[in-house]
Amino acid sequence: MARSTSKDAQALFQSLRSAYAATPTNLKIIDLYVVFAVLTAAIQIVYMAIVGSFPFNSFLSGVLSCIGTAVLAVCLRIQVNKDNKEFKDLPPERAFADFVLCNLVLHLVIMNFLG
Amino acid sequence: MSKLVHLLGFVTLNVFLLPFLCKSFSPETPTDRRVLVLLDDLAIQSSHSLFFKSLQSRGFDLDFKLAYDPKISLQRYGQYLYDALILFSPTIEGFGGSIDQAAILDFVDSGHDLIIGADANASDLIREIATECGVDFDEDSNALVIDHTSYAVSDTEGDHTLIASDDFINSNVILGSKKIEAPVLFQGIGHTINPTSSLVLKVLSASPSAYSANPKSKLSSPPSLTGSAISLVSIVQARNNARVLISGSLSIFSNRFFRSGVQKAGSAIKHEKSGNEQFLTELSKWVFHERGHLKAVNVRHHKVGEADEPAVYRINDDLEYSIDIYEWSGTSWEPYVADDVQLQFYMMSPYVLKTLSTDQKGHYFTSFKVPDVYGVFQFKVEYNRLGYTSLSLSKQIPVRPFRHNEYERFIPAAYPYYGAAFSMMAGFFVFTAIYLYNK
Amino acid sequence: MAASETSNGTTLRHAFGNVFALFILLLIGVLAFSIRLFSVIKYESVIHEFDPYFNYRVTQFLTKKGIYDFWNWFDDRTWYPLGRVIGGTVFPGLTLTAGTIWWIVNSLNIPLSVETVCVFTAPIFSAFASWATYLLTKEVKGVGAGLTAAALLAMVPSYISRSVAGSYDNEAVAIFALIFTFYLYIKTLNTGSLFYATLNAIAYFYMVCSWGGYTFIINLIPMHVLLCIVTGRYSSRLYIAYAPLVVLGTLLAALVPVVGFNAVMTSEHFASFLVFIIIHVVALVYYIKGVLSPRMFKVAVTLVLSVGLVVCFAVIAVLVALVASSPTKGWSGRSLSLLDPTYASKYIPIIASVSEHQPPTWPSYFMDINVLAFLVPAGIIACFSPLSDASSFVILYIVTSVYFSGVMVRLMLVLAPAACIMSGIALSEAFEVFTRSIKFQLPGAPIDSQVDAGDKSSDNTTAQNDVAKTEKSEDTIKERPSRKNKKKEKEPVGQPSVKSRFEKRLLVLPLEASILAIFLLVLLGAFYVVHSVWAAAEAYSAPSIVLTSHSHDGLHVFDDFREAYAWLSHNTEVDDKVASWWDYGYQTTAMANRTVIVDNNTWNNTHIATVGTAMSSPEKAAWEIFNSLDVKYVLVVFGGLVGYPSDDINKFLWMVRIGGGVFPHIKEPDYLRDGQYRIDSQATPTMLNCLMYKLSYYRFVETDGKGFDRVRRTEIGKKYFKLNYFEEVFTTHHWMVRIYKLKPPKNRIRGKTKKSKSKTSSKTGKRSGTKKNPWH
Repeated sequence: MARSTSKDAQALFQSLRSAYAATPTNLKIIDLYVVFAVLTAAIQIVYMAIVGSFPFNSFLSGVLSCIGTAVLAVCLRIQVNKDNKEFKDLPPERAFADFVLCNLVLHLVIMNFLG
Repeated sequence: MSKLVHLLGFVTLNVFLLPFLCKSFSPETPTDRRVLVLLDDLAIQSSHSLFFKSLQSRGFDLDFKLAYDPKISLQRYGQYLYDALILFSPTIEGFGGSIDQAAILDFVDSGHDLIIGADANASDLIREIATECGVDFDEDSNALVIDHTSYAVSDTEGDHTLIASDDFINSNVILGSKKIEAPVLFQGIGHTINPTSSLVLKVLSASPSAYSANPKSKLSSPPSLTGSAISLVSIVQARNNARVLISGSLSIFSNRFFRSGVQKAGSAIKHEKSGNEQFLTELSKWVFHERGHLKAVNVRHHKVGEADEPAVYRINDDLEYSIDIYEWSGTSWEPYVADDVQLQFYMMSPYVLKTLSTDQKGHYFTSFKVPDVYGVFQFKVEYNRLGYTSLSLSKQIPVRPFRHNEYERFIPAAYPYYGAAFSMMAGFFVFTAIYLYNK
Repeated sequence: MAASETSNGTTLRHAFGNVFALFILLLIGVLAFSIRLFSVIKYESVIHEFDPYFNYRVTQFLTKKGIYDFWNWFDDRTWYPLGRVIGGTVFPGLTLTAGTIWWIVNSLNIPLSVETVCVFTAPIFSAFASWATYLLTKEVKGVGAGLTAAALLAMVPSYISRSVAGSYDNEAVAIFALIFTFYLYIKTLNTGSLFYATLNAIAYFYMVCSWGGYTFIINLIPMHVLLCIVTGRYSSRLYIAYAPLVVLGTLLAALVPVVGFNAVMTSEHFASFLVFIIIHVVALVYYIKGVLSPRMFKVAVTLVLSVGLVVCFAVIAVLVALVASSPTKGWSGRSLSLLDPTYASKYIPIIASVSEHQPPTWPSYFMDINVLAFLVPAGIIACFSPLSDASSFVILYIVTSVYFSGVMVRLMLVLAPAACIMSGIALSEAFEVFTRSIKFQLPGAPIDSQVDAGDKSSDNTTAQNDVAKTEKSEDTIKERPSRKNKKKEKEPVGQPSVKSRFEKRLLVLPLEASILAIFLLVLLGAFYVVHSVWAAAEAYSAPSIVLTSHSHDGLHVFDDFREAYAWLSHNTEVDDKVASWWDYGYQTTAMANRTVIVDNNTWNNTHIATVGTAMSSPEKAAWEIFNSLDVKYVLVVFGGLVGYPSDDINKFLWMVRIGGGVFPHIKEPDYLRDGQYRIDSQATPTMLNCLMYKLSYYRFVETDGKGFDRVRRTEIGKKYFKLNYFEEVFTTHHWMVRIYKLKPPKNRIRGKTKKSKSKTSSKTGKRSGTKKNPWH
């Protein structure tokens, strides 16, 4: 039973990796960006767990900037992904422009909340 | 032309009289000047002349009037004509003129001083005035203070109503710095004071063996007033610092008692002169504000390093507070030196309580840090010492919390978060560059 | 040729229709603005009630001192001696909005005073709110429903009651922000554009700035997302609509000082975080499902489930432990009283005592939303066919708001937009059915063809026929939208038009029935309009600062409140402190400009209980309490002479309850005789001796000789008494406001001997008994 589950798990990972390799490059760039953001968030949470949450607003703004960046990047990925039928007539420039605007607002708020 | 001459004459007369008018009582010179003395018998003027002369020698203008004189009055057109009142009329049932109990009490409530001398047949009016001031005479109108162990040895008085008492209040302000060696001769009625009142003090108490009863009749029930609870001479300092002296004996002020010698029963010492003159002279100095009268001026507070008074403080500010206190010496204001003046920084309860340090010249100061609580605080100085006028100063000042830009700008513990946020922004720029130019 | 002609005709009609819709919207805005002006016409341009006076004072400060001083303002003239940090405890949206309008207007050299701007802010924003309702309903159902809903919202009495000219309170701008936020959410959901998601977050920020009711949004939207996921309507548009809103919205909410860290720490926000996690899980699942083959997917599912469940349990256990450790489970008192309607009356008497927080009665539903109460269920059904994301959202909105409005009268205001949207949908659908029935049964109307062009031509002819019909109907607004509704069905979304053609075949009613039905619906609308105008003019336009009454000799105006405040501001020192019950705190600081002890913010229960205890105590104890707070003047409101029912004697039991909640020596049964609250001769001695009784009825017997209290309808119990520690300094013209001063402490303390009946006055110039020889 265990052997079958572990073999299944391996097969699962193989199929996942092969499926992922098929994604276009720009989506892979976005995914890398998302991973970077989530990692930074994780580092900050670990730091907070060690040191304590004294300047809580700085902690919140740091973590939320990472999470926000990740979320917005995922939104961009959804909109730009050609497999997504709902967005097939959305020009990618428009999607990117929206993404930039949203990030600008996000970073403005982060700067305000940081100090 | 004649009208102009009249006008000129009027003006010069006024200018001439002005200095005299200014010599009256004012807060700058708190000693009373014009005293109305109400007597029920003009003979008192001569029989108590030593006491009156001691007052006149200190600069008081005594105005002797009969208590039932229909032309006496304390005030005219809203202005008081006198600064103090001495009532040596124990038998009077109703005053003449416009004076009555309410007028006398208003006189005291407007800041003027009063000396009441009651005696063996004190009328109800005098007793009522004394009760209003906080002192209760014995309800039995025939009772005198009798003391069978501390009476004054004498040839004539055999019923021990003439007592010699030396149970003085322990206060240099009230009785002067010189100790009164001889006991004081007293013959009259006793009174008690309201124990809950902080305004009344016993200056001369009876000994523990004294009691108040009718000397001519046998005692049918135990006397109501006994022991040291009986006060022979009391003082009252009202909240507006008017001072009242109430004595149960008129003869305590008389020349006869001033001059006579005294020997207390049970003591071998025979004093040549009783302590009455010294006692009453010193006491009258206190009553007429020649001693123990304080004023506080120049209340100042400012932040450390600045000179002018701010309208609002911030929490955790450092501030300095200073005040000048002077005492009236009878002729001028002298610096008051003490080490127990305290300042409270008060908001429903004192957050900071500091004893003010002094430079021995009447200037008191301190500095402290504003507490970490915001609100509307008061600088409170409450100074109530025995025999001194009460100082009650309070100044309101708000204390605000930090403004949004008064916090620390960059907190070291938060550098990782700053770093993360900026790295996100940098990553965003890099990402857009790569994404846009990726082919 | 015919096709191009018809297409030209269609585009012309489209353009004409759009212009017409714009014109109608403008008229709706003017209607919304003008129906709220009754109070200005009947009374004067004055600020109403109590809370608006505080907002007005804050706005004055903002316009005078600028935004930085406003942001850091520490107010030392209220809650003496604690003070209040205004910057951190007020919702700045309303004051910043009015301040901005004032600043813009003044820099254009139009000299409007701050008061004028404050008075008229609410009507202006109600016009904006009706436009936002149009936009929202247009997203759900179409232009016709949108215009109907906007017209209904412009007049709905519940909204009028809180946004009449002069009612300068948070809800005036908050309802606009609420509807606008919902509109942007639905728009993002429908289009999936990140641009609208950004705008949504900013609109949510404006809502957080404006009103404490923003928690409704941050709980309703996650509920809707969860509903969509559960009903299988997950799509990536949902993710785009929700996830950025949570992140940006939390950040923006934390920026507002009042909310601060509550945005992440209180239970009111936990729902949004929970759904945030859930939606990520769901998105990941969908992504992997799309990428893998079905067999692999099953394997993935089993693997993830086993691991994920363990992690989930651990996290939830931690969360529950955290939340359970706080006594209110992390919810604020007001939110808890919403969830559990009996909570406030048990634990927080201050919240329970406010009349706006009581549950509404059934008649108040009819008074406040009138005809819409009947149309809402029809609208709900109309939303189900077809059920889209937007219509499921509106259904959820109406259901939750009906529940909350049943808990607290004040929240009828949140119900009003939902009811208007539903009713608008219902009305426009009904009109659509009826006019279609009429169209198909008119003589000369061609039977519908299968071709789209054919449909258009039939629409053309029936349009002319409908034009002919317009003269008959009284309410043109209801007629035109139905035409536009039909045009909108030709939009690129192909599905509904096929359905509607089928519907057209099915839903055809007899001609007479539909004509009659249209007439009746128009009549219903007319009743609604008449009722709304009546409610606006008579019921909701009273500024409670000025009262009027009609009697046989004309109109009486009671301006006692302003008289009292003017007296205070002219006859007392600037630093004098005035104590009164907390209702009048804002008005006293704003109009009389004096420091008060407690005011309507009610943030410090102990302070209020202190004042309540003082009012319930005998004179001496009350004097002690007030003296310890440095109070100089005490103000009471008394309605017994004129019959004003909201006076302090009627509120007195709440003072006892609140005071007794903190100081146990005040017991409510002491003031009641056999459980009844009386002030006549049967009242308890505690009641007859308490300060509130004495201050209200001092010298009252002098007015009519008997002391008949018109509100309580009895003669008072203790008629002749003196005040020893207070002195009366001012009573207004109709005895409605009475001001007393604390007497300073007595100069001399009397001895213990009882006062004898005075014989002294009779004897003057006499001496008693025998003279004592002074020489002895």
